[in-house]
Amino acid sequence: MDRRDVLLKPFEPHPSSPGATRYTNAVLRNQNNETVKFYDDLIRGKQCVVNFFYAECHGSCPAVTQTLKSIYRELKPRMGKDLFFYSITTKPEDDTTAALKHYAELRNADLPGWQFLTGDPYDIETIRFRLFGMDHPGFDGDLTLHSSYLRIINDARNSWGMAQAFATNKNILRRIAWQDPPKSYAERVIDSRARQVIIEQEVKKYGYRRDSMT
Amino acid sequence: MPKKKANNRPEIEKKTEGQVSRRTVLKIGAAAGAAGVLAPSMLTSKEALGFQEIAEPVICVTPPTSPPHHPFVDDFTAPFPCDDHPLKPKPTEFPNLGAGEADRAPHPRWTQFSPAHFTYDMSAQAGLHTFHSDYSPTYIWGFNGQYPAPTLFGKYGKSGVVRFRNNLPTTTTTFGRNEITIHLHNGHHGSESDGFAGDFFGTGFWKDNLYPNCYAGLDAFGGNGDPREKMGSFWFHDHRAEFTLNNNVLGLNGMYIVYDQTDPGHEHPSSGSLQLPGYYGVTDFPLILVDHRFCPTSGGRTELVNAAGGDKFIVNGKIQPKMTVRRRKYRFRILNTGPTQTYDLTLIKPDGTVGTIVVVATDANFLEHPIPIDAGANAGNSNSTTTPIVPGGLRVSVAERYDIVIDFGQFNAGDKLYLKENRTMNVGNPSPDPLPPGLAIGNVMMQFNVVNREPWFPVDTPAIPSTLCTYPPLPATDNTWEWQFVLVGGRFRVKRPFDTIGCTFDPDHSAHCILQGTTEEWLLNNNIASGWTHPIHIHFEEFRTLKRFVNGVLVAELGNASLPMFPLASGRKDVSRLEAGQGALIKMQFRDYSGRYLIHCHNMAHEDNFMMVRWDIVPDAAALADCLANQQVCENEMKAKESYREEVA
Repeated sequence: MDRRDVLLKPFEPHPSSPGATRYTNAVLRNQNNETVKFYDDLIRGKQCVVNFFYAECHGSCPAVTQTLKSIYRELKPRMGKDLFFYSITTKPEDDTTAALKHYAELRNADLPGWQFLTGDPYDIETIRFRLFGMDHPGFDGDLTLHSSYLRIINDARNSWGMAQAFATNKNILRRIAWQDPPKSYAERVIDSRARQVIIEQEVKKYGYRRDSMT
Repeated sequence: MPKKKANNRPEIEKKTEGQVSRRTVLKIGAAAGAAGVLAPSMLTSKEALGFQEIAEPVICVTPPTSPPHHPFVDDFTAPFPCDDHPLKPKPTEFPNLGAGEADRAPHPRWTQFSPAHFTYDMSAQAGLHTFHSDYSPTYIWGFNGQYPAPTLFGKYGKSGVVRFRNNLPTTTTTFGRNEITIHLHNGHHGSESDGFAGDFFGTGFWKDNLYPNCYAGLDAFGGNGDPREKMGSFWFHDHRAEFTLNNNVLGLNGMYIVYDQTDPGHEHPSSGSLQLPGYYGVTDFPLILVDHRFCPTSGGRTELVNAAGGDKFIVNGKIQPKMTVRRRKYRFRILNTGPTQTYDLTLIKPDGTVGTIVVVATDANFLEHPIPIDAGANAGNSNSTTTPIVPGGLRVSVAERYDIVIDFGQFNAGDKLYLKENRTMNVGNPSPDPLPPGLAIGNVMMQFNVVNREPWFPVDTPAIPSTLCTYPPLPATDNTWEWQFVLVGGRFRVKRPFDTIGCTFDPDHSAHCILQGTTEEWLLNNNIASGWTHPIHIHFEEFRTLKRFVNGVLVAELGNASLPMFPLASGRKDVSRLEAGQGALIKMQFRDYSGRYLIHCHNMAHEDNFMMVRWDIVPDAAALADCLANQQVCENEMKAKESYREEVA
């Protein structure tokens, strides 16, 4: 499947996608006070990055939002079209839709394709367990855990990845790209040849393939 | 060997195990000897080029239990030996992009190791495999469509090129990812052939891995390196970042056996030979362990379920197989392909007591002296230290290999012995034979039926020599380093002492830069106090364990708090099993090659998350400076993010 086609096609889930049985179809509300169903409206057939936060969190949450903002800039052409960010509050009791709107605006993060979500506490805990759970009560019960991790989902490929918000932006972008829609053979040949040029330059200059930041 | 014998194949294939004459066995040698024991449907890579379309599986909801099976129905067999096969186009130093090869660095030491003596063609593709006669076929991803993959053979001093082709389906309903990068665990070779986790290639491409089959120490010893660095039981497997578990569960792994003068792949008293049981598939068998969960589907097949912790234990692709053994010594090359579980294996004698197994090699390396393990005085020889030692149990973590010798000559014809695992599997049917007292059918991995040696079967090998090899002395240490294996924010990570949160696997970031030709001592610390064990694997060279420690010891305090060293930990290894709250001090050399390599937990669920980092061997001081500077760029960015958090807090 060509990536260009994906942008024009309706969002189709992968035939093996577990759908709402895994993701749930919990009804959530976003910063614009719109009602969304978690699987049908947010996940189904789409590629997205999901993280958990809460508005009053002064630990890792602001830094994670900052990181998402900077990678948003890199991914802007795709945002809201075939790539989406969902930041879900872990304190829905405190974080009303208005509080989420305030949080997003304050950080210049009220952007197309990026939703801040609240909902029923039980539903949100269920979603958090389904996306980040390690089947270990000691870890899964702790709200502060997983707060710096980004779950990357591509329902059209039925694939999952994960990134750490404190890794380099290049690493996060690469991990998102690892879940991109598959490229055609012709596109991959072009990529492969471009990489080969860089590899050979590096081997010549440094004595080995060093694939690095600089 | 396989190269010269390939033309014998049609004749051999018609025979069954019982029909292989001794003369044939001796004549055809180890590799071909297995032919008769195996399925006749072996696909050579040539045939594989026109591989058939296999319908993708119907996905089912994870069942609480797999379907029942009857014990001891299927025969235990060795994976088929792969045929040596000329490669067209010929392997080249730089990737042959025009012919469909994926991008890679040029093969290092190409003039020294080309043309390759052995060439193999391995196509990763969908296939069907029957795990038990009671089961309908199962959809797998295998090399040349086989499960387990055909075994590759090498010989020290004769280099090999394996052409790995990605002929996996372009779309799949399974949990696998159709991108592969194949690691030879644990070959001493260039980084471009090492299956680096970020170097995966998609369908339609192929890639040549150059395996020089050389001993470590090429620069210092010249020629083919230092023969004291000999290794034997390698395995190869997919290493695709984030999907290693998925692709290995589907079957993308197999064994790679390398022979040399001491271990020549036959039992003749040839010069320098240790004369261990050595006919592949006759007296010398891989014993590949894995667990799976199955469900019958509407597609008329029994499919694999994507869940760690299966309820069927599988040996060489069969559930609870039976094996006829003659009253003589046999060698088994135990390999745990995981994906996550550890095995505690014991040999159960007919009277229900624990039999002796003799360990001759740990992770492909001969021990200096064989170590017998039994329920008596040697019980403590288990390499376990905390969780209960199973008396006589050999603890095998994911990716560990143990070559063992069992002497069935001490038993009588008609005796039945059992390989027992400490965990219990779901069987669903009683044993057809009365089991020894105290043994439950759910704990049985396989059954050995002892018979007298027929005249045509190879005579027993001499007693195992008391000295198998001598390890080379370790050079002085140039540097010490520490890796911590931790949980940060509820995820497994690798951390250096100075990191706040630790590394994720980053193909563009080397977490440690090492100058080629130096020797380092690494402290591996499992800092998670409870629950999790981490079998830590280091690519590239074998290491020696110097000491074992309780948790929290820093490099500066190394004199303190040693744990007893267990004999099996004294062997050269490439996987260090760290029980919860324990550490090991290992010493390793970084010779002959430069490039990107990995250290990771081999619990595949852990390595697919974040418990894996890249480290580099750099060729010279300028490259070292560059490596360190680049490391700094990454670390500055990560530190900036962390400090943002602290300021806000």
